[in-house]
Amino acid sequence: MTLRKLEGTTLAEMILQGAHHLKSNSQMIDALNVFPVPDGDTGTNMNLSMSSGAEEVKNVSANHAGLVSQAFAKGLLMGARGNSGVILSQLFRGFSKALEEKETITTKDFAEALQGGVKTAYKAVMKPVEGTILTVARETGEASVTLAEKEEEFLPFIQGVVDAARESLKGTPELLPVLKEVGVVDSGGQGLLTIYEGFLANLKGEEMPEHSTMNSMGEMVNAEHHKLAQDFMDTDDIKYGYCTEFMVKFEEEKLAETPYKEEAFREVLSEHGDSLLVVSDEELIKVHIHTEHPGNALNLGQQYGSLVNMKIENMREQHTSIVGDKKQTKPREKAGYGIVTVAMGDGMKKLFESLGANVVIQGGQTMNPSTKDISDAIVEAHANNVLILPNNKNITMAAEQAAELAEVNAAVVPSKTIPQGISALLGFNPEADLIANQEEMSSLMAQVKSGQITYAVRDTQIDGLSIEKGHFMGISEGKISSAQKDKLATAKDLLKEMIDEEEDEIVTIISGEEANEQEVEALEAYLEEHYEDMEVEIHRGDQPIYSFVFSVE
Amino acid sequence: MSVDLTTKYGHITISNEVISTVAGGAAVECYGIVGMASKNQLRDGLAEMLRRENFSRGVVVRQEDEQLHIDMYIIVSYGTKISEVAHNVQSQVKYTLNKTVGLSVSSVNIFIQGVRVINE
Repeated sequence: MTLRKLEGTTLAEMILQGAHHLKSNSQMIDALNVFPVPDGDTGTNMNLSMSSGAEEVKNVSANHAGLVSQAFAKGLLMGARGNSGVILSQLFRGFSKALEEKETITTKDFAEALQGGVKTAYKAVMKPVEGTILTVARETGEASVTLAEKEEEFLPFIQGVVDAARESLKGTPELLPVLKEVGVVDSGGQGLLTIYEGFLANLKGEEMPEHSTMNSMGEMVNAEHHKLAQDFMDTDDIKYGYCTEFMVKFEEEKLAETPYKEEAFREVLSEHGDSLLVVSDEELIKVHIHTEHPGNALNLGQQYGSLVNMKIENMREQHTSIVGDKKQTKPREKAGYGIVTVAMGDGMKKLFESLGANVVIQGGQTMNPSTKDISDAIVEAHANNVLILPNNKNITMAAEQAAELAEVNAAVVPSKTIPQGISALLGFNPEADLIANQEEMSSLMAQVKSGQITYAVRDTQIDGLSIEKGHFMGISEGKISSAQKDKLATAKDLLKEMIDEEEDEIVTIISGEEANEQEVEALEAYLEEHYEDMEVEIHRGDQPIYSFVFSVE
Repeated sequence: MSVDLTTKYGHITISNEVISTVAGGAAVECYGIVGMASKNQLRDGLAEMLRRENFSRGVVVRQEDEQLHIDMYIIVSYGTKISEVAHNVQSQVKYTLNKTVGLSVSSVNIFIQGVRVINE
């Protein structure tokens, strides 16, 4: 059979088979999708776009190639979904533009139309990314022009087009780093090749096998793992622990009993886990699944034949070794020094940890940890020498008891406030012995001035001030120095009281749960205006009760 | 305005300029976009196309409470499905910002400021 002129009806059939072939492969294409966004929908999007194009083609009754391609382009445009779908619609918009007037098409026309599609497609992008469907379309278009010059018959011509597209697709990982890293070809390019393959099959009068590219299973698995690795930061997040891959070799007897249907098999397997890939041909099924019970998946496969090439990996173990999960490491050696401290609020906890505290007990004013809490913390610190900073005078006693009871060497640095605790920590010297550290840190602690802003829970008279419920109190070194209705005014008064411009250099503001950013900024602005030589440091402590904690040194 | 991240070694401050450049860069790699437009058409002339260094004029980064919102002013190519192109830009900008800056964006609002018709 020789075919030198393509008629409208033939073109329409080619398009329909292209769409059908894309549909059967859309899941495989989804699996390859790692660029631009690894959300695994390229195949689905291309399929939806292409189906919409094919629907329009079905409605064309005239045997006119130009009209068929126009209808195709219109359907694609209306149904375009996703990046790849939009590109596909542009490719065939240019394609149909070139064929508008043609009732029948020669190979030269077809090549020109492919080129026209490429031109249109490239015009609609500011910065074309190479290594994508665009590259495959362009290289195939270029190749088709050369092909058409010596080949007037359609069958070998389209065969050449498919070969060129396949060759170009192979090159995509070299052009786009993310593809190379994952070890896959571009999903959109794969989609385009699949459409061309459908064209070819129609010309040959062949039924397409559902999966033209069994060997891309490895790529699909890579892409699935790549997507998965981005999902999990924590080993505990892995729901399905075993990466299971196996092949089933069909056996006649078993098939007679349980006939194999790929869709149904995939459906059943999907209930057992995720990252599922099923690919099959006449002899084999290849399966990749992440599941909690690999045995069940294997049993399901075994219904159809014998199992070959099985591979099961424990992903939790792998993930743990990747992220270095502390929880599952062997008992660690005792550290030389451990530091236990008491503070309230997440920000505060982080602040202390960043300064070297090993264990931060949540507590403080109104919630004093018990001796047992502190003893437990000493054990948790897992060190031969432990320093305890209670950061509150009400906790000092409990801390000292805990230190006495401790099985390791423990000493208390009697910090009464958060700022004192912070200053003391700065003096910690891991080389010095416990007593030397205790002395040094205690002396440092005395050099810092501490202040806090909190609110009154009832009316009271104290330190010569009369305070109303709900008013704010500025507390300097445990003594209430001002009480006012306005939080910021109280804070400013307290700072005025605390700062000695001759001696002090640094003011640190630790904002609590009840302080917002505007208030922090206002205080910062106030300090910069009135005490220009002071350095201001700001931390978020998120502590309850105290809107602000100030330290001045 | 800027975005602050705190790590165990210290603070990272990312200015809005950076966010808008990353967002603009991600957008122009998206298919169907032929340019970024200035958000201020009256002042800057009709949908003047912006060069890379001017991305920020077509990208507005807003912070409300703890959430990040991005407004993008773009020009699309004639003959593309505009809603789809816009949707692609949204998902790509969100993904790219998350990947490169570690920021989670609450909304990416797209304003189509122009369509460029190319002779065929």
